[in-house]
Amino acid sequence: MWGWLFGRLARAAGVAWLITSLVFIVSRQLPGGPDQLVVADLSELGRPVAADQSVASQQAARLAVRRRLGLELPVFYVTHRANQWYWHGPANQYHRWAVAVLHGDLGRSYRDGQPVGALLWQALRFTLPLAASAAGLAAGLALGLGLYLARRPGSPGARLLVGLLNGLQITPLFLVALGLLLLFANPDLLNLLPAAVQTPTEDGGQLLAYWLGRAALPLVSLVLAVLPELTLPLAAALRHEATTGYATTARAKGLPLGQVLRRHALPNALLPLLTTLTDLLPALVAGTVVVEVLFAFPGSGRLLAEAAAAHDYPLVVAGVLLTALARLLGLLLADILYFLIDPRLRPS
Amino acid sequence: MNYFWLGSLLTLLVSACSAPPAKQASSPITIRWSRDPSTLDPLALPNPSAIDAANLLHMALLATDFQANKYAPALAQTLPQVRVLADSLTALDYELRQAATWDDGRPVLATDVDFTLKLLHCPGLPNEGNRAQYGFIREVRLDPVNPRRFTLVCRGRGEEIMIASGDFPILPESALDPAHTLRYLPLAKLQAWPAARPPAPAVAALVQRYRQANLAREPSHLPGCGPYRLTAWDTNHQLRFRRKAHWWADKVQSAPPVLQARPQELVFAVLPDDDATALALRRHEIDVYPQVPARIFQQLQASPKARAEFAFYSQPSYDILTAGFNTRRPILRDKRVRQALSCLFDPAGLSTATQLGQGRRTVGLLPPGSPFYNDSLSLPSLAPDRAMTLLRQAGWQRRADGHWWQPGATHPLALSVRYRTEETTFATTALQFQAAAARIGITVTLLPAESSALTTALQAGDFDVYVRLLKGSPLGFNFATFLHSSTIGNGNLTGFSTPLTDHLLLAIPAEGDARRKRLLLRRLQVVLRDEMPLLPLFYLPTRLVVNRQLQHVVPSGLKPGYALTALSWSDAATPLANSQ
Amino acid sequence: MMSSGSFSLRTRPVAGLALGWLLLLLIVGLLAPWLPLSPTTPDLLLVAAPPATGSGHYLGTDALGRDVLAGLVAGAQRLVLLTLPAVALATLLGTLAGAAAGFWGNQRLRLPIAAGGWVLVAAWWGLRLPGTAFLCILLGIATALTLLTWRVARHPAARRRYTCALPLDSLVLGIITLLGSVPRLLLLVALAAGPPLTTGQLLALLTLLAWPETARLVRGQMHWVRAQPFIEAAQASGLPMSRIWWRHALPHACRPLLAFGPLSLAGLVGLESSLAFLGIGQGPDVVSWGSQLASVRHDTTAWWAAVFPGLALLLTLLALQKLAVLASPATNK
Repeated sequence: MWGWLFGRLARAAGVAWLITSLVFIVSRQLPGGPDQLVVADLSELGRPVAADQSVASQQAARLAVRRRLGLELPVFYVTHRANQWYWHGPANQYHRWAVAVLHGDLGRSYRDGQPVGALLWQALRFTLPLAASAAGLAAGLALGLGLYLARRPGSPGARLLVGLLNGLQITPLFLVALGLLLLFANPDLLNLLPAAVQTPTEDGGQLLAYWLGRAALPLVSLVLAVLPELTLPLAAALRHEATTGYATTARAKGLPLGQVLRRHALPNALLPLLTTLTDLLPALVAGTVVVEVLFAFPGSGRLLAEAAAAHDYPLVVAGVLLTALARLLGLLLADILYFLIDPRLRPS
Repeated sequence: MNYFWLGSLLTLLVSACSAPPAKQASSPITIRWSRDPSTLDPLALPNPSAIDAANLLHMALLATDFQANKYAPALAQTLPQVRVLADSLTALDYELRQAATWDDGRPVLATDVDFTLKLLHCPGLPNEGNRAQYGFIREVRLDPVNPRRFTLVCRGRGEEIMIASGDFPILPESALDPAHTLRYLPLAKLQAWPAARPPAPAVAALVQRYRQANLAREPSHLPGCGPYRLTAWDTNHQLRFRRKAHWWADKVQSAPPVLQARPQELVFAVLPDDDATALALRRHEIDVYPQVPARIFQQLQASPKARAEFAFYSQPSYDILTAGFNTRRPILRDKRVRQALSCLFDPAGLSTATQLGQGRRTVGLLPPGSPFYNDSLSLPSLAPDRAMTLLRQAGWQRRADGHWWQPGATHPLALSVRYRTEETTFATTALQFQAAAARIGITVTLLPAESSALTTALQAGDFDVYVRLLKGSPLGFNFATFLHSSTIGNGNLTGFSTPLTDHLLLAIPAEGDARRKRLLLRRLQVVLRDEMPLLPLFYLPTRLVVNRQLQHVVPSGLKPGYALTALSWSDAATPLANSQ
Repeated sequence: MMSSGSFSLRTRPVAGLALGWLLLLLIVGLLAPWLPLSPTTPDLLLVAAPPATGSGHYLGTDALGRDVLAGLVAGAQRLVLLTLPAVALATLLGTLAGAAAGFWGNQRLRLPIAAGGWVLVAAWWGLRLPGTAFLCILLGIATALTLLTWRVARHPAARRRYTCALPLDSLVLGIITLLGSVPRLLLLVALAAGPPLTTGQLLALLTLLAWPETARLVRGQMHWVRAQPFIEAAQASGLPMSRIWWRHALPHACRPLLAFGPLSLAGLVGLESSLAFLGIGQGPDVVSWGSQLASVRHDTTAWWAAVFPGLALLLTLLALQKLAVLASPATNK
């Protein structure tokens, strides 16, 4: 088991590295780039322009940006131009990045020159607790609702619940979040959110309470967004298990249906739930842009989305690395949980 | 953990639903920003938020007076004296204010201006945009007698030169270069420094010091002579600025608007979403909501409670919604085709649909109120019949299939429209054009794109028609940046140029006589209307909603749309009378 | 709900309704080009107008002035011609990939060792790497290996020695992870830079983004199926593995899909909606239910622009679920 675990972890790290390398190389082939943004901004900002607008001066400015950011080097060890391969040796962007990452340096953001690790950590402080508690809450609710739906299929309550869950499933996350915002933070309807006019300046309990209040609606929208996807397949699987031979036997022995479902059917029906749940793990680090934008939550989703829009490659690549690692750990976790629930599913 | 969240939620609900506290004169004013400034490096300033912040931390020679929509002297005593030199050079004589000092009490001197301009050209710093912007300032001549007097020798002529020469924040030499190592390096030499050559030792050391100061995140490491200092910055959440207790301009007798700083504390809340911002305003989490979209403005005005609590302002801005034609395309090379296509836009209907009818229609690139506006031209409007006549004149024929063909052509007349995705105004305009074109048998494809992809495509000339905002300004007539032949491939996206327009574009900024300038500008409007490289549809309005308890609200068509430092809380707790 | 007997419309009015709705959708979707409705012409005087009979917009207009009813019809067309095929393709691809990965794992699928040589040759040639001489050597080695293994293929024990395991599970998981970790926005920025997507490309994109979830679900279920006694029994009886996989394991591994398939349709419409939300994929002249849902973002007071397509989508989802329940063997016993 330990050997297997170690092998899987090593492979996960390798795959994550491959993915990140791929994104590193591909992102630098995209049109635009940070150099273009610097030049384009000039006319967009409504400042008086007396600048030299000739193409030559623009090219010079772009070249200066690329030089400052180290983008004038070739991207990879080899490049392919006009049906010819060229070898560049270690003087390339990928080599420098790889060496720096292996030394624990993820690089610096193009926009403000700050270390990428610090920027990510700052955003993760907000995203991690929010997404983790949303996942936990959603899983708990899904278990409860799934058992309820399986125990009383066809009852009016269950029908209503299934309808509601289906309605939620078709509603995009931004509509759920927007709906919650318009319902519960609206002085014309219900203004339940604390009227925190200002963020408390000092650290401590007040600040925590402020952020808890701010996190309430994002949390609810995240839970509502994943709930149908967790509950409906679980309920279907439980219903299926309830019709199998062992469940019938257990019922014949006099066990109540609820207990049969909980004790015997649930472990078998749990697999799809675990799969979906561990799928949520990457969202813990990648954040959910829509919710963070709507509720003005300074999380990692917004950070990475803005970085992608601004061609801030070091931040994007670090974000991809983290997301890939989280996803691979999620896959690994799912396999371990399968094994814990049903020891026959010994991983290969 | 879950119960913990729920429990805290419940406790907070109990404390909710309280009335907003009454504002005192020292209460912070909270303003909405749609994005984080992301860097406060005074050399970079890549977005409007960063520019707003830099205007609080630093001072420039000149600043915008939002009351008059003009540039007014800030660090400078007066507007500069303009002297015309030979070789199309202009000399601008500046004198700094006597009272202007840095925080440590040292005076702001001409050497600081000289230093700042050199800093703008140091390689290896994030100043590339500024290098192009201020490259026209060729030399700084310090006055040997008066340390506050200096002369900027600039390339070019005209009002923009004067305005732009005073638009950058002045930085203290003593903090970054205490040994004055840069004084012996002339500005022109720094500007002409070859990119491949390693920088001079003094420059390299300065760049190193500048980078170590980490000004992008820690602007307090380089105190400017502006009225505020940054006290807190939570990325993507909020920034706080506190008024300096002793600011040099407090001592200036009868300070002009640009030297007033009333708010004791300014808080900028970063709220990316407009609906959430409208709700935050209603909940009194923010007090000032600039650049309000039309539909939010309408929704807020529809609510009686919001009307009682907030004041609403709508001003014409200087941004023009414009359609442009790629004149390099063979089918668009004929001006009659461009004229025909321009008859398929409906400026009046689009203003109604997207701007609550508040868009100001125009015949050309000048606002209707301008003394240079050519009122002899008629406003462009939707005229499909005229479009068909013009197409026929240009040699196109409508065949039985309903499409337009040129003799010997393999394809019928078909176009693609590029525009930026986020804004509904662009989408509605493109849809309207598509529908109008479809009615007379022209197929139009819509190609919305994200901002940077759009810029790339437009600069590469990969479009037929674009719809975008042309950022104008009341402060000058420098149309050469997007119409002159020398800027094709950069600012001039349509690829349009004629010898006549090239001549006019260069003559207008250089012309000193108002009457002759008016004639030239009126002529330019006629020529552009005839050649139709781009079609200005209307001037967009800029909208502002503020808390009624705020006084000294100065709305403006210039960015950011209001005078930030003029605001203050009114002493009376009761709401003011309707000031709309 | 598990009480009834065989499937019959007369005894199942709800199922009849479900089937009727899907048929209606199909007919409307296929007939849409001939209906006198223009979903993209904006009504500039009636932007975000509420539903009313007088204005000619029976279900109102959205924030861009487009008619909601015409949009519903155009959306039905798109659902029939694009989204449903994408769901079917994604489910097929996901099922095959997930089931194969879960069944064979990393060790059990063994390929002749020569296959590796051929892959190397193909990659070398495809990338046009320099060194034609080296390519020839590779080609020679691959041919020799093929001949060698072919010679000894008659002895199963020897054959095993000349094979290498194909890490199918790692391969599939790697691709899933790759697709899942690239930030959507980056992907979309890359896509938006190119020419606009054709319907075929959009179909491929939607399929590509949707199949991993199905694959993971089936893979997880397949782990469980593989451990069941009947698979062991089949193996003991000497059936070839591919046959066990196809005939015995796959049907069981697909079971969660009956509940999940309809949900993945909703997921894809949601994806279309977020594509429209980000303004990427196709312009506002291509209307789908997803883009209609997203249009409410431009004007939150125009609830009708989202409610009607939302209702249509909900009905479709419920109808599909109803049919899935009816088709499920367990409930029809």
